Amino acid sequence: MTSIIEMPELVMEKIIEFSDFKAVLTLRQVCRNFRNFIDDLEDSKLPDSKFEQLEIISECNTKKIMLKFMDPNFVFYRIEYSASEKSRKFQEKTTKLDNSNIVDVAIRDLELILKFQKYNFQVLTLSFDDCQLQNKLSNTLGQRIKARSLSITVHHQSQVLPMLQFADPDTLKFLDLHWVDINLEIGVDEIVKTDHWRKAMEFSCDFQLLNLKAEDVCHFSSISLRTNSFDARDLDTLKKTFLNFFKLEYWYFDLKNFNEIDELSNLWGPPFMSGLSRTWYFRIKDSEERILQIEILSHRHPMFKEYCATYFYLIETGDVPEGTVVYDYDEN
Amino acid sequence: MSSTEQGTSSAAPAEPTTAPESAAAPEVPESFYYVHGKDKVVHKVSAGALQHSALIHGMISNLGYTEEQAKANPFPFENIDGDILQMVVDWCNQHKGKPTPPEDTNLPKQKEKLFDLVLAVNYLEIKELLTYCCKQVAMMVKGKSPEEIREIWMIPTDAEDEAAEKEAKKRAGKEAAGETAAAAGDAK
Repeated sequence: MTSIIEMPELVMEKIIEFSDFKAVLTLRQVCRNFRNFIDDLEDSKLPDSKFEQLEIISECNTKKIMLKFMDPNFVFYRIEYSASEKSRKFQEKTTKLDNSNIVDVAIRDLELILKFQKYNFQVLTLSFDDCQLQNKLSNTLGQRIKARSLSITVHHQSQVLPMLQFADPDTLKFLDLHWVDINLEIGVDEIVKTDHWRKAMEFSCDFQLLNLKAEDVCHFSSISLRTNSFDARDLDTLKKTFLNFFKLEYWYFDLKNFNEIDELSNLWGPPFMSGLSRTWYFRIKDSEERILQIEILSHRHPMFKEYCATYFYLIETGDVPEGTVVYDYDEN
Repeated sequence: MSSTEQGTSSAAPAEPTTAPESAAAPEVPESFYYVHGKDKVVHKVSAGALQHSALIHGMISNLGYTEEQAKANPFPFENIDGDILQMVVDWCNQHKGKPTPPEDTNLPKQKEKLFDLVLAVNYLEIKELLTYCCKQVAMMVKGKSPEEIREIWMIPTDAEDEAAEKEAKKRAGKEAAGETAAAAGDAK
């Protein structure tokens, strides 16, 4: 009787082509002949894993690494590697990894799964709180992961640049940075020079960015960030950009130590005042229907945390409150 | 199978896209060729049906056999079992000159036959049928565990495989030792 092992390569390639991603991973476990054959196959001949999200997490206190994948039906697959138990757990199955380093095993698994990824991930999430995984990934990962959105949990300032390098800047549209420590402050001097920063269209960051200049963020269509380095001149630069650049959607800046409302009034004219908010309305270039609204909500109280929230967004002309001044478009 | 061919002379106009050399081929009386497998049972098949096989099509396209010559020189496929060749011929006849459907549910369900069919079809270079067969093989193991797949396809585990290899080596070693011992005995 003919055995499957005797099939010519071309036939095996076709069988792989018609199998789904899970079946091919299972075939790899059947015998070493299949494993070697699949591992030697060009990535283009493998079926698509169709994952939309990838999360890579390392946790120092639990000594664990987690790889999480989400498919288009919102089903999550989670592989957990434990250094203390020397094991890998996938769904209900636990495998002992007696003499292997879990970091090496996790990276090997990740690379294998990435071979099946034909399209860009929608979201890549990275959170490394020990540097072993990060350093090893930097040294061994043969490719940059293609994702539309990159979300990084930052444990330490030095992490941002190396973690950005795991993602391919060419596919990146949205860059999202999170803090673990609310008091984290990060200088952006090197970050703004990366392709990731330049190529992303949307940016969100919930810790304090130091040394940020208005020019650094003008290319983002959507922004949400905290910084201590903007003054009235910077906001004016941003206003001019917003008026001239139609693709802009929404900007939000949480400005620390900003107390130049008077300077803004000198530059832009008096604002519409209501409670804690100061609002300006500007006509935008070549548009009768839409108006730029800049609203600054500032709060100074000895008991509470001081804040100054600045919003830039477009509203319909009809939504401008009655009796308020709408400033004409000014090229300069 | 082949007897039904006579009535359908208008079928199988050679498709110039797949067969550039036979562009001038569709003469009105259809030509027939003869093939046989391991069991020597000869099948009469129209050139139109045989077009599915790139191998046979390549062989016959420049041959210019007369009916008598073709009958006298059947193509021997000694590496293909008779029943498998019969399946292939039937499939070629059924799909002669027709666009092939995306699925083919008439393929053998027993794995032994299916694997033999795959080898034959791969050898004869019948692209569409190979695709169906490979899809069917892939379907056999969809959703199965490695253990189940080993059982379905009768594949030993790596450990069993290694043990068998060791055993074979040992046996070979023993035989060699036996031979040298015998040779030593002879020398005495």
